[in-house]
Amino acid sequence: MKELAAVLSDVSFRYGNSDDGALHGADLKITKGECVLLCGASGCGKTTVTRLLNGLIPHYYEGNLQGEVTVFGKNIRDTAIEDLAGTVGSVFQNPRSQFFCVDTTAEIAFGCENMGLPEAEIRKRLSDTVADMHIEKLQSRSIFSLSGGEKQKIACAGVSAMLPELIVLDEPTSNLDLDAIGELREVIAAWKAQGKTIVIAEHRLDWLNGLCDRVLFLEDGRIRNEFTGDQFFMLSDMQLHEMGLRALSARRNYLESETGLLRLSDCACADTITLENFVYSYGKEAALNIERLELPKGAVIAVVGHNGAGKSTLTKCLCGLQKRFRGSVIIGGKRMKPRDMRRCSYMVMQDVNHQLFAETVLEEVMLGADEGAEERALTLLKKLDVLAYKDRHPMSLSGGQKQRVAIASALLAGKKLLVFDEPTSGLDFRSMECTAKLLRSLEQDITVLIVTHDMELIDCCCTHILHIEKDASAAIPKHL
Amino acid sequence: MFTADIENRGLVLDPRTKLAVMITLVIFALGGTGSDIAAVRIGTVMLSVLPIVLLVTAKQWKTAALFGTVYAVIKAAEVLLVPTLTGAALSVLGLCCMIFVRLMPSLIMGAYMLSSTTVSEFIAAMERMHVPQQITIPLSVMFRFFPTVLEEFAAINTAMKMRDIRIGGKNAGKFIEYRLVPLMVCSVNIGSELSAAALTRGLGVRVKRTNICKIGFRLQDITVLLLTISLYVIWILGIVGVIR
Repeated sequence: MKELAAVLSDVSFRYGNSDDGALHGADLKITKGECVLLCGASGCGKTTVTRLLNGLIPHYYEGNLQGEVTVFGKNIRDTAIEDLAGTVGSVFQNPRSQFFCVDTTAEIAFGCENMGLPEAEIRKRLSDTVADMHIEKLQSRSIFSLSGGEKQKIACAGVSAMLPELIVLDEPTSNLDLDAIGELREVIAAWKAQGKTIVIAEHRLDWLNGLCDRVLFLEDGRIRNEFTGDQFFMLSDMQLHEMGLRALSARRNYLESETGLLRLSDCACADTITLENFVYSYGKEAALNIERLELPKGAVIAVVGHNGAGKSTLTKCLCGLQKRFRGSVIIGGKRMKPRDMRRCSYMVMQDVNHQLFAETVLEEVMLGADEGAEERALTLLKKLDVLAYKDRHPMSLSGGQKQRVAIASALLAGKKLLVFDEPTSGLDFRSMECTAKLLRSLEQDITVLIVTHDMELIDCCCTHILHIEKDASAAIPKHL
Repeated sequence: MFTADIENRGLVLDPRTKLAVMITLVIFALGGTGSDIAAVRIGTVMLSVLPIVLLVTAKQWKTAALFGTVYAVIKAAEVLLVPTLTGAALSVLGLCCMIFVRLMPSLIMGAYMLSSTTVSEFIAAMERMHVPQQITIPLSVMFRFFPTVLEEFAAINTAMKMRDIRIGGKNAGKFIEYRLVPLMVCSVNIGSELSAAALTRGLGVRVKRTNICKIGFRLQDITVLLLTISLYVIWILGIVGVIR
């Protein structure tokens, strides 16, 4: 009999602020050295399981916990989260909110310092971790100057330095591009080789192929099905989609295609939007260098490229949000300056919370529209499937619903160019499909640009791909 | 601003030195000691200029130049122009000069302090001063929180621009509400995620925390500290009546 790392026996949990249980009678045994993947649609309870393992439930997120959870022989109820810190390490989803220090070296040492280890020991662990993870270049840097992938690496290093037995990762890739995911995979493989127990809750599945020993499928707070790693990664995309899971591999990795504009499917786009003089630099560092680019009007265009290729600079310039930007856009023969662009474009941000202001959904959509537009607003809300919530506070909706409210308000304001920044990060298959369907169904005169790393979304709804890279962005052909 | 740019810090002062300068500035520049001794006045001006010098060493040229010019102009106006004025002009200009000359140094120092101290330095300094953890930890969380809230604020501003919500616009009355609601929701989310992350990494364990960050008084600290101490000494001697 192998030694057990964690045991959940008949565990049910209900968050203090909700009526529904998040977990119902879950039984789970995790042996030492195992790598377990928890998957399932949003709200299936996989995050709750990770929180039970690192003690955030019941000590931080309060609610009604029944059943017993033991982690390395310690009952979770009687053990403070801080005391689990040396045994269980956690990596979270959002790189913005998991750093405590502002410089990388201090951040890696932070956990060890808290445990009160002697200074010499911390220094040794620090240099070991840095060497193990090959992050010499990231030492003594400001956290705020790192990319998402680099931040996630530092988070892993901080956990690694505490030498935990069990490492819990909660959707660690939702903000990462494919390269960064590859690097994260290496880190996890190294942990596995060191005999650490690993539990990962994830939507994106393909990168875990060959890494996981066991896969648990959760639905409505219950563990529905259990697979060995080999069985699970043999499942077809159809079977996965039926379970509400993302496909294991997209048909194509568009980052490997040539830079420039590529047509994926037919679209009746006769007109074009012309971008002129899209050149921008931050200080001395050139960020964007496109002299002229014609985009098909009415298309759904995915903007892909590695981190730092200038994707977000491009979209900011396009929406007239970049200061000191001098380029212009020609739509329907009319030349528009950044000021005019701000009037006819709208960006749906990755964190949609930033752009919901009003008290009710209807008021939110009507904000800035004429008084007489209420009827149109209601029709629009109905079309976007959020009419039932028109009197709710926008902040009380789910992520996907918030996104649709933001889209509704942009459409009502007569915006003709919609830009989405990673609209599907952290979304499960059904929500992703919903977003894709919605984007496809927009009217013909609305052009959509989607900045995304999500190849499955591109397969589902995009008519074109715009691939830009740092050095090659000038090489984009002038015509389709 | 408010984020410690550790890649480009210039002259490094011990956090305790910065704190001492801050307190001294509040007492002498903001409070105004009312001392007539020339040495105290000159010392106060020197100390008031110090934050600008520190900004220069941290290579924040633009900020330093801006603050430096504004301070110089207002100080010059106070010294040269105000004594020649009478009536309404005197009260308006005199008041403006007084507020700026008094308030600015402390504000700049505060901004510099936040932007040049890392969280670990701050915690180390508080520990050396034997401040209990119950005070240090919330304060250090705030340190980390400031830049994040500013980032959120910038993002919300951008979003408002796209919706054309402006002070002069149709929804002027609700301008503040529209800004605060998303800011608060985002800050609460980030704050709670941040605390959760910190807890899982053992913040708040009852054992004594180690700190690998090296802080200590160096030549520059001693120089600055001597300046502040001498200010206090001359001031008190003036009050007692030894110096006139």
